[in-house]
Amino acid sequence: MLRAAAVLACALLTACASFSPANPPLAKYAPDAGYRFERLEHGDNTDELFVIVTFSGGGTRAAALAYGVLEALRDTRIQWQGRTLALLDEVDVISSISGGSFPAAYYALRGRQIFDEFPERFLYRPVESDLIKLALSPASWLKLAAPAYGRSDLAAELYHREVFGGATYADLIARNRRPFVILNATDMTTGTQFPFIQDQFDLMCSDLAGVPLARAAAASSAFPGGLTALTFQNYAGRCGYRQPAWVQLAAEDHASRVNPRRTARADNRLSLAEVVQGQGQVQGQGQGAGGPARPYIHLTDGGVADNIGLRGPLDAIASTNHPWSVLQLMNRKLVGKLVVIVVNAATDPATGRDRSAAVPGLIDTLTTAATVPLDNYTFDTVELLRKTVDEFDTDARLVEDCNRLSARRGAQCALQLPAPHKVDLYPIQVAFDYIASAEERAWFKNLPTNFELPRETVDRLRAVGRRLLSEDPQFLNLLKALNGSPPPVAPR
Amino acid sequence: MEYVKVLFPTDRLVYIDGEENGNTNEVLRVEAGTHLFELGSLANYRPASRKVTVEDTTALEPLEITFFRKED
Repeated sequence: MLRAAAVLACALLTACASFSPANPPLAKYAPDAGYRFERLEHGDNTDELFVIVTFSGGGTRAAALAYGVLEALRDTRIQWQGRTLALLDEVDVISSISGGSFPAAYYALRGRQIFDEFPERFLYRPVESDLIKLALSPASWLKLAAPAYGRSDLAAELYHREVFGGATYADLIARNRRPFVILNATDMTTGTQFPFIQDQFDLMCSDLAGVPLARAAAASSAFPGGLTALTFQNYAGRCGYRQPAWVQLAAEDHASRVNPRRTARADNRLSLAEVVQGQGQVQGQGQGAGGPARPYIHLTDGGVADNIGLRGPLDAIASTNHPWSVLQLMNRKLVGKLVVIVVNAATDPATGRDRSAAVPGLIDTLTTAATVPLDNYTFDTVELLRKTVDEFDTDARLVEDCNRLSARRGAQCALQLPAPHKVDLYPIQVAFDYIASAEERAWFKNLPTNFELPRETVDRLRAVGRRLLSEDPQFLNLLKALNGSPPPVAPR
Repeated sequence: MEYVKVLFPTDRLVYIDGEENGNTNEVLRVEAGTHLFELGSLANYRPASRKVTVEDTTALEPLEITFFRKED
């Protein structure tokens, strides 16, 4: 008995003392290697028609809605540069959050095989029950006793084994095909989005190729409370990393306040890559040696920073200082049509709170405090997309109008003002808000956020994703411009 | 969104903050802030680079950033 207790105590001590980082160090900074947008082969996918898709958070509800949109894109035919093809084959980037990260990562890994495998592997699977069973098993208790191991680490192991078949980012690099898929988590300390791309891991001198896809999906979906944050090791200062030129320039703009958003992005990069003397906490480094200012990075659900995964794409569209800047491609006249498809599984559950005079309870109040700001931020993010599109359109029209007006006054008055490269923008939205029937809308907006839904609910979500895409006015404009045909929609 | 036009007697690639971003004598879009402008190909221009803060421009009135041939 005593011996057993001693063995258990030893095992617990061993577990408590060790932290095994799932992200390996990067031996040498290599801007021409790793999971980067510009490294992926185009194949037949053109930049001229540039398609960005975002998948929101929302557990299995979000995963099923996103999957339904992928199916619809597969079944949408377009005429493009003399060929008939599926719109899915022109998707260049997918940016995802939480539940939406599962179909995104699976599509990045398996391509069209997602349509044969993903429903049984994930959508119809009782993932939540599997997670609870796993957490309750005695084998997990020992692991969970370690302070650097949490419920999300268990979840990551389950996804690694059961959903992603042991795949890592090295598999995506080997696959070498667009779309560039970005799973997003949130850096708990800075509150900023943390994208799983090599450009971000460069800051930590870590090699994303060695990170399991499951761990990225688990970090992206580490819903606060139910799941724990995931810890990543920061090896900053060990690989000869150099920040891009814009970072120092933007950091110098603090006092001028010319663009606080750009300056904040620069500060965020500097924070992650900061090295301080005398920090010796990093494993493998002696006491007193220089080390990262933040040796460990704790990542929680991507929805905390941006629940629709649109902030990164908006920066890529509006800035030349971005790891996959679309604005650079526009300046180089490589993009003619820019399509942004936002798949948003946000709900608005009904509440009986206002039928009673009673003071709302603590849980109700905390839930409201945690979720309402996120919903408001989501609303603002979608508005920002609309504003960005308007800005592009207005500026292009302004120059055209001036040229036209001056030409009306006679050839001698005609101005030939040069205009920036013209880009046609198509902001497309798939969201329950756009369901016409109030009854049906309410049904979808009251679905729970979890990792387990009945098969019929999953099927309804797949179908409504397809239908909402095919009904979107901008999607119809796009199809008109591309002489395309929408995906077939089953009668309601 | 801000607008710049990098002026040079001939057609050259324009690099903004070290990244290729279109050509000289065309209106280019850029985010507000301080940027570093350079030209591509031959280095027969001056100055070698220009650090400029871009703000309050419009598509009609882009900020003009001029480079010269070295022999000029």
